[in-house]
Amino acid sequence: MEEQKLSFVGKSFERKDGLIKAEGRAMYAADREFARMLYAAAVRNPRPRIKILGISDEKAKKVPGYVTLVTYKDIKGQNAWPVLDLDYPFLPEKIARFAGETVALVVAETQRAAKKAASLVEIEYEELPNIQDPLEALKPDAPEIGGTTDMKNVYAHFTIQKGDVDKAFEEAAYKVEGTFKTNYQVHGYLETQGSIAIPETDGGMTIHSTTQCPYYVVDGVAAALGITYNKVKVIQTVTGGGFGGKEEVPALVAAHAAICAAKVGRPVKLIYSRKEDFQCMSKRHPGWAHIEYSADKEGHLTGCRVKYVLDAGAYSTITAIVLFRGTVHSTGPYKIPNIDVKTFGAATSKVPCGAFRGFGQPQINFAQESLIDELAAKIGMDPVEFRLKNLLNPGEMTATGQKLTSSCGLSELVEAVRKKSGWDKKVNLHEKKGHIAKGIGISTCYYGVGLGAKGRFLDRAGAMVNIYKDGSVGVSVGNAEMGQGALTVFAQIASETLNAPMELVKTEEVDSSKVPDSGPTVASRGTLMGGNAIIEAAKPLRERLFKVALDMLIDKGGTSGKMIAHDGVFEMDGITVSFTDVAKEGWNRRLKMCEEGWYVAPHVSFRLDNGQGDAYVVYSYSADIAEVSVDTQTGVTKVDKIWAAYDVGRIVNPMLATGQAQGGILQGMSWSLFENLQYKNGIMVNPNFTDYVCATTKDKPEYDITFIEKLYDEGPYQAKGMGEVPLIGVAPAVANAIKNACGVRIDSVPLLPEKVWRAIKQKNAAKEAK
Amino acid sequence: MSEIIFKPCSLKEMWEEMPNLPESRKYMAGGTDIVTVENAGFPSSECWIDISDIPELATVKEEKDHVFIGAGVKLNDLETYPFIKKYCPALLAAVHDFASPSLRNMATLGGNAGNASPCADGVCALVSLEAAIVLRKGNAERKMPLRDFFTGPKRTKLEKDELIYGFEIPKKENLLGQYFKLGPRAFFGISKVAVALSAAMEGNKVKYASVAIASVAPVPLYAAKTSEYLTGKELTEDTILKAADIARGEVSPITDARSEADYRRDMSGILLERALRSFLN
Repeated sequence: MEEQKLSFVGKSFERKDGLIKAEGRAMYAADREFARMLYAAAVRNPRPRIKILGISDEKAKKVPGYVTLVTYKDIKGQNAWPVLDLDYPFLPEKIARFAGETVALVVAETQRAAKKAASLVEIEYEELPNIQDPLEALKPDAPEIGGTTDMKNVYAHFTIQKGDVDKAFEEAAYKVEGTFKTNYQVHGYLETQGSIAIPETDGGMTIHSTTQCPYYVVDGVAAALGITYNKVKVIQTVTGGGFGGKEEVPALVAAHAAICAAKVGRPVKLIYSRKEDFQCMSKRHPGWAHIEYSADKEGHLTGCRVKYVLDAGAYSTITAIVLFRGTVHSTGPYKIPNIDVKTFGAATSKVPCGAFRGFGQPQINFAQESLIDELAAKIGMDPVEFRLKNLLNPGEMTATGQKLTSSCGLSELVEAVRKKSGWDKKVNLHEKKGHIAKGIGISTCYYGVGLGAKGRFLDRAGAMVNIYKDGSVGVSVGNAEMGQGALTVFAQIASETLNAPMELVKTEEVDSSKVPDSGPTVASRGTLMGGNAIIEAAKPLRERLFKVALDMLIDKGGTSGKMIAHDGVFEMDGITVSFTDVAKEGWNRRLKMCEEGWYVAPHVSFRLDNGQGDAYVVYSYSADIAEVSVDTQTGVTKVDKIWAAYDVGRIVNPMLATGQAQGGILQGMSWSLFENLQYKNGIMVNPNFTDYVCATTKDKPEYDITFIEKLYDEGPYQAKGMGEVPLIGVAPAVANAIKNACGVRIDSVPLLPEKVWRAIKQKNAAKEAK
Repeated sequence: MSEIIFKPCSLKEMWEEMPNLPESRKYMAGGTDIVTVENAGFPSSECWIDISDIPELATVKEEKDHVFIGAGVKLNDLETYPFIKKYCPALLAAVHDFASPSLRNMATLGGNAGNASPCADGVCALVSLEAAIVLRKGNAERKMPLRDFFTGPKRTKLEKDELIYGFEIPKKENLLGQYFKLGPRAFFGISKVAVALSAAMEGNKVKYASVAIASVAPVPLYAAKTSEYLTGKELTEDTILKAADIARGEVSPITDARSEADYRRDMSGILLERALRSFLN
């Protein structure tokens, strides 16, 4: 009776929010003003780990405009931020665990006065023992500084056990092992953290927050104020970048603003400076990994041992889930019969690390993909051939024993980048012009979409689709736009399902009171979860509207009964009605024109004793080939070109997907080459963009991006997830290319010129010694 | 507690008003170092004297034996003067490595010197050009070689209220200039090492050479021994390598958040080699 081909999904619609952001008209948290609003500023722990003996605002009080000091004593609810565990107090009572931690807040009439007063608050303290190195934290004689598990200074540990690893290594024809390290990464979102808390007359609190997880903010504010959830309303402001950095910590910032607002009974704005944002907001965990691989004489992988440690910092926050993802993917996208993986999230006296695009995977992917190249070299195989021999294909088992579905195009991705890059010709070329050596390197990765078994209790999402009397459509979702294009992609999915023109569809930033808790917008789950929830909401509306349209077309003289819906128009026998007319007629007939949708992710599992189970609902895949030029005198690496291929299911919006890919590659390259957050004696040395260096557009490589769409039937219009996968494989591809160019293996990220220079010098010295 | 910005229209007005301003007064020109105040730890002030619009400080002129560049000239304006191209080639070469285009629209050479960072790109180039710095306080004026102006990181010989008035660059005929910088990324970064080379050549013979190196000493370094060695030498591969080794011996770099001492030392030589080779016919 009716048929519909895709009119909106798969097309490159421009960003709904593009122009307002480009023109500077977007209203971020810092731009919002409210009557009688006050300003808060944080008083920060100056030392790595302290016992707080007293806090005095004697000097701060003299600042004109000073209103009050806020400490843990002002917290009416529980003084424990509910994340996964409860070890992080909103404001510390006796012990502060890292330099930069918010110890108290001051409230003042202006932002300058608040900052000035905060700088004059005096903390009387005693220094306590602290630990900087996560490996030190795991030693039996280390002082206890944190931890939430049965092991001292450990927030989480996992294992994967499969087959007989000892036997595999005994019988192996080839063995390699290596230790690899990666440093922090700072999210570098343009908009720093910030929140405004507005007390309501019923004792409730309305929060305006830059966040990718508005429902985490609800959790935090309700807990801190000791009020019920129905009295907390969180409105997500236009969010100027997230990358995971606005997953868990905005709840802490909002709770601080709310505690202040509750005390003074006036709206309070708390906006972070860049320095504070560096010092105390989440980061990518530094990683340490020791890996061993074994292979038989034909080059089949037979075994893998992994010990993987994340430097989690002073509180647990979401380290367990980050580590879980790292654990599941730690052996690489290969079929390996014998596996022994042990992973640990270790406490240190530094900034608590949390979510960051890739979420525990880039660190371990760098390690294992670097080592895979070493193994291929040892066997004497081409790195691409070696991978093709061992990669996971549909129907095969992952490390956790999960059987892959047909939505797995990894081998095709590798073949695609191999061909496009001219790999076969270039890999043995080792071209050198003057001091510039060219090289090429590959990496592969798989990425479990969504929260997986460790976060499964959160893996659901809601949406509300409301067709107004004039035929315009409002889409409310629980998943957040943070610069990735969610508003646009969600509108496309709503348009497609309703056959509504894109320009009539408006998706709104999240209001927690409109849509039920939809979990975080992380783990590349936005399109998958939010999209499916929208479809669930729109489906009954579609049925009603399509029936109305059919009636209208027959009324207008249609006879065949064959209706085609496309591009916002309904058509029969050359007669058409528009979506708007159909919607108005729906209202005339007093039909229900608003519906809610709810989507729950399929079942996943993970056995804690042996790490076996269906860890994620589905996987996305990537293959990256990097071509680099290394200056062998200065050690400077330039990434000339990246050929990347992705299987992320159906591409909903090719332009936005390409943007995600390019942004992910550049952010991954920036982490690989430049970004180097440093601590000295427990104090962050370079909390600013002068000395914490990120790639600029001038550093960007040439991109060659290929999508191979292996459709995922559970996904919205068969899409999977794409936000993170482009970042993950860049570092090992670049490291492997450096090795190909000049013969040195750099085993730590960032791949700084200093390290390459030293390695080349050592190699040359060794050559001369021979 | 209140903060004051005083913006005089002329130096005369400034000197007249000076005694009425708070003791903690400081000069501000482009302001580009002040915007990073909180992040980079630049000292704040309760009173800024904004000298960005004082006409006398924005002059660039060719005199009989030198070129004068006012302390308030914006970096991006330097390229518009043909005699700067002729007599200050190392400075023009450095401009492209100096911060970003938007910052160069604001930043000044006077501020670059006043901030007294050993990594200052503009200063390093001026030192290789053997520039003199002109200082004024009221009607009193004094001059000194720019290389002697710095006493340590962020420290200069400036006296209280003394103003950087400008720079005098001696005119040398057929001068070549080069500026090679190794920063943390392709563009817009603080140097790990930078080498400024000003030289006059006769064929492949070095008639005159002056080398300055940034970020390898407590102050922008004038590489006296390297400069002396090169002057009068035939520019052979041997000379180049020898000069680079002398330069490596002249620097005293440190390891910090930006780079490592031994790397900086070696790169001082490598960048000098490259600068010298660029002058070979």
